[in-house]
Amino acid sequence: MLKVDNIHIAYGGIKALRGVSLNVQQGEIVTIIGANGAGKSTLLNTISGFLKPSRGTVSFRGKALPKRPDLIVRDGICHVPEGRMVFANLSVEDNLLMGAFLRKNRKAVAEELEQVYQIFPRLAERAQQSAGTLSGGEQQMLAMGRALMTDGDLVLMDEPSLGLAPLLVNTVFEIIGKIHDLGKTILLVEQNAFKALAVADRAYVLEQGKIVKEGPACDIAADPAVKAAYLGAESRAGG
Amino acid sequence: MAQFLQQIVNGLSIGSVYALMAVGYSLVYSIMNFSNFAHGGVIMFGAYFGFFAMTLLKLPFLAAFALSFTGTALLALLIERIAYKPLRERRAPFLYFIISAMGASIFLENIVIATIGPTFRTYPKVFSRTAIALGSIAVGRLDLIMFFVSAISLALLVLFIEKTKMGKAIQASAYNMKAAALMGVNTDQIVMIVFILGGILAGIAGVFFGMKYTVYPQIGNITTKSFVAAVFGGLGSLPGAVLGSVLLGIIETMVAGYLSSQFRDLIAFVILIAVLVFRPSGIMGKISEEKA
Ligand SMILES: Nc1ncnc2c1ncn2[C@@H]1O[C@H](COP(=O)(O)OP(=O)(O)OP(=O)(O)O)[C@@H](O)[C@H]1O
Ligand SMILES: [Mg+2]
Repeated sequence: MLKVDNIHIAYGGIKALRGVSLNVQQGEIVTIIGANGAGKSTLLNTISGFLKPSRGTVSFRGKALPKRPDLIVRDGICHVPEGRMVFANLSVEDNLLMGAFLRKNRKAVAEELEQVYQIFPRLAERAQQSAGTLSGGEQQMLAMGRALMTDGDLVLMDEPSLGLAPLLVNTVFEIIGKIHDLGKTILLVEQNAFKALAVADRAYVLEQGKIVKEGPACDIAADPAVKAAYLGAESRAGG
Repeated sequence: MAQFLQQIVNGLSIGSVYALMAVGYSLVYSIMNFSNFAHGGVIMFGAYFGFFAMTLLKLPFLAAFALSFTGTALLALLIERIAYKPLRERRAPFLYFIISAMGASIFLENIVIATIGPTFRTYPKVFSRTAIALGSIAVGRLDLIMFFVSAISLALLVLFIEKTKMGKAIQASAYNMKAAALMGVNTDQIVMIVFILGGILAGIAGVFFGMKYTVYPQIGNITTKSFVAAVFGGLGSLPGAVLGSVLLGIIETMVAGYLSSQFRDLIAFVILIAVLVFRPSGIMGKISEEKA
């Protein structure tokens, strides 16, 4: 479904991605794990069209992606960005409706909204509240709900569990499962390698802008080097 | 008491036109995070467009008015495309935008001086100069019309921004451009719409200022006051811009009425400095979002 082929990205002199290739098949959950600064967000921002690779290509359903981020959304890729980025000046419901910005069918949008409220009952309770007043966990729910409203088939998620209490981290991963059950394909970037590998089908390990390992999630989880570098740190990082 | 009421009415009228300008400023600021100093030049063109539409083309007032704000909408859009879009694409630092805006402003003023000349011109008479008596106070017809047209324009703008999908997209982009793009919003289009809206308001304001005072190449300098009003109310906040403008208008007429008109502008700048010192975010501004 998604094919990233040998992309290079540099910020000025800093090389953030150095020949990254990966693919995601329809219906999969694929995770990319890597430490701070490995280039995970850079990779997702490139897929979403915010960064232009100096070399390499990204294709979606066999076609090169359009140039503008809004056209990429139209093609069916949605992105839950790092740091949530909810519209704090709008109500919760308006945030969700912004997700449906490109959609014309009002009935389908209303149904989707109901579905999102079912997955995230907290958002339904706070529908008219300004999004800026939500807690961090609720904002993460809103960011995910808003992305679902775009009706994209491929969902990119950038560290959805970041900064959340352990109980909420579990909720977030449960929700990722629910989103997958809706028929969405998921590319999940995480530092919480333990949880990410548990939910994913396949995994890539990104280190300093390069993919150093790839394979079925269970194999990666069993890899001694990965265990030492990412899973050992799990208890310290605390999610 | 009658004099006091009279000053309030005059202040409301002039304040409502400041509000047209300040809202244009604030709209662009809220999306682009820089002060569009070329806005004054657009207002000046609005004044000239209306003036020449009436004198040269001999158009009736309403047609000249419409021609003027259509022209300024296009002009504002053109400035965005030429002076700002290339900077946006390169993600240039905000200082470049300010310098580009100043360049555009100087260019607009000088092209008028070079072609039309620096002379002051007076609009043909449109509304009778006899005032309308409202109880103990007298209201000029032009003042009344200025107030109502400005109020209606601003109400329409608020309706557009609060009630339409595109309006919500403008609000979303003002908060976070990247997140808006992730919702499928074409943010380049949002920037264009914002400049068009600001341009329309600038044209309306330009015609009114031309009619109330005279038309001359530096008439755009009056936007310094709307800038004061926008900062006073809180840059980037539309209700703040309106409130700041109306307050500034009333304060000015009060100062002119009770002290001396020579102190009028002095007070405006004392207010600006005081606001910047004691409440940098203005009356209704967002503090944490302040970027430039
Ligand atoms: N806008 C930028 N300008 C310059 N350098 C950048 C920029 N964004 C990222 N970088 C650099 O690129 C590298 C990769 O950053 P990126 O944000 O992709 O990492 P990440 O894997 O998402 O890290 P984290 O887990 O901390 O979010 C880092 O060295 C970072 O400092
Ligand atoms: Mg990141």
